Amino acid sequence: MPGDHRRIRGPEESQPPQLYAVGEDEEPAARDPTRLRPVYARAGLLSQAKGSAYLEAGGTKVLCAVSGPLQAEGGERGGGPAGTGGEAPAALRGRLLCDFRRAPFSGRRRRAPPGGGEERELALALQEALEPAVRLGRYPRAQLEVSALLLEDGGSALAAALTAAALALADAGIEMYDLVVGCGLSHTPGPSPTWLLDPTLLEEERAAASLTVALMPVLNQVAGLLGSGEGGPTESWAEAVRLGLEGCQRLYPVLQQCLVRAARRRGAAAPP
Amino acid sequence: MASVALSEAEKVYIVHGVQEDLRVDGRGCEDYRCVEVETDVVSNTSGSARVKLGHTDILVGVKAEMGTPKLEKPNEGYLEFFVDCSANATPEFEGRGGDDLGMEIANTLYRIFNNKGSIDLKSLCISPREHCWILYVDVLLLECGGNLFDAISIAVKAALFNTRIPRVRVLEDEEGSKDIELSDDPYDCIQLSVENVPCIVTLCKIGYRHVVDATLQEEACSLASLLVAVTSKGVVTCMRKVGKGSLDPESIFEMMETGKRVGKVLHTSLQSLLHKEESLGPKRQKVGFLG
Repeated sequence: MPGDHRRIRGPEESQPPQLYAVGEDEEPAARDPTRLRPVYARAGLLSQAKGSAYLEAGGTKVLCAVSGPLQAEGGERGGGPAGTGGEAPAALRGRLLCDFRRAPFSGRRRRAPPGGGEERELALALQEALEPAVRLGRYPRAQLEVSALLLEDGGSALAAALTAAALALADAGIEMYDLVVGCGLSHTPGPSPTWLLDPTLLEEERAAASLTVALMPVLNQVAGLLGSGEGGPTESWAEAVRLGLEGCQRLYPVLQQCLVRAARRRGAAAPP
Repeated sequence: MASVALSEAEKVYIVHGVQEDLRVDGRGCEDYRCVEVETDVVSNTSGSARVKLGHTDILVGVKAEMGTPKLEKPNEGYLEFFVDCSANATPEFEGRGGDDLGMEIANTLYRIFNNKGSIDLKSLCISPREHCWILYVDVLLLECGGNLFDAISIAVKAALFNTRIPRVRVLEDEEGSKDIELSDDPYDCIQLSVENVPCIVTLCKIGYRHVVDATLQEEACSLASLLVAVTSKGVVTCMRKVGKGSLDPESIFEMMETGKRVGKVLHTSLQSLLHKEESLGPKRQKVGFLG
């Protein structure tokens, strides 16, 4: 007779078996602290979104889609002096709404969406990093929606999401001052602490501190910065920021090539 | 954050003044406004504090409750933060308006306490895997006058310093059933060590210089700020860029140095004030909040 699901109840909460495993600690392999994992980036792959991008760096896979400009909800009336270059006055500027989501199977433990505070925090970090780059003054009373979906977390997820979001915005044809490139770092604990560029999930889990930097490469301006942990004195953090900015500059040519390829594909597919 | 409508002329006045190291109220770029800190203002909590920084008024209450430890950390207690931006602070927070800001501040607090050094969580454990102390830190924003993060972090540190957790023992019967015993003496408590609790210093970039402790008007002139959480020893536990604008890498390094310098001074004065207040004991005259 099949199990009686009404009388035989399983436990209320479920946990993965790894929690009870006897410490099989795999140490992350020693590596060059300034190595960047090879990146695969492709823009313009979703048919329903205005602009989209997929970024894969090591085990981290992020998919980002942009829709807009759409009419903003909650009309705001405003006047005031117009900005330079034919931009709308400050009160009528466009809005950027960012959403960051983790797929339930992206990490070691299953996390049902909505993920709560952490996803909201990362969505806010995305918004704060992308706003300096997007010319919102050219989209008065409109809103741009950026949604990033993390398919698999293999380390430096926020940095990958930032880069994918910037690519998706560029693919959508949104006017921008510059691309935003993100880079993750982590600080190893122990006798000789070093900052590692572009950490893997294992390195991130064992890290004493982690940092994500977002740079606009051509303008050389830092668009976003989010770091926490026991990183040590300010000199250590300053060194980490420098390393991160260098990593962002190195990543930039890959993204340029990706956008050029996407534009070519779009041109070839367009009917004559 | 509450916004203030400023005319272009006022903005230019503030920006030009800051370039000369002179702010509208006469302070220098690295000076804080007058801070009033008072602990033990709410009697139903395990610890509380009120901080008044210019026009910013914060009330923090800490309640210690027993619960089960998290699965990944069975030997430690933990802290839960909740920030309530009440509608009294500014009309923008009416209804659900203040929820976003509240979530942002709570997430920042989680981030700065998310490392082993800040608070000794092992002292909050009663029996591993079964019982631990959970400290619910509730922050109430009574009035918003600029520079919320700094005031909140000072208030949280003061409230944690004031927290008294009753001493509890777990007794085991012959049958194996556990019983929790609270000590009879109401003054027999555990006190937390707040030596390494960090304080947030927000540095707002205005023109080419940066200012500490910005008022609402100065925040309206600044496009980007850097939030640095510094401990009393100068160790940075959290860094975050806030705002719509971008920052030059060189200014980030300068702002970090200023943050560390200002943070150390802030910590020494806060520590001396808290110790002085505690040494006065029950004879201390209480002012209370909104007073």
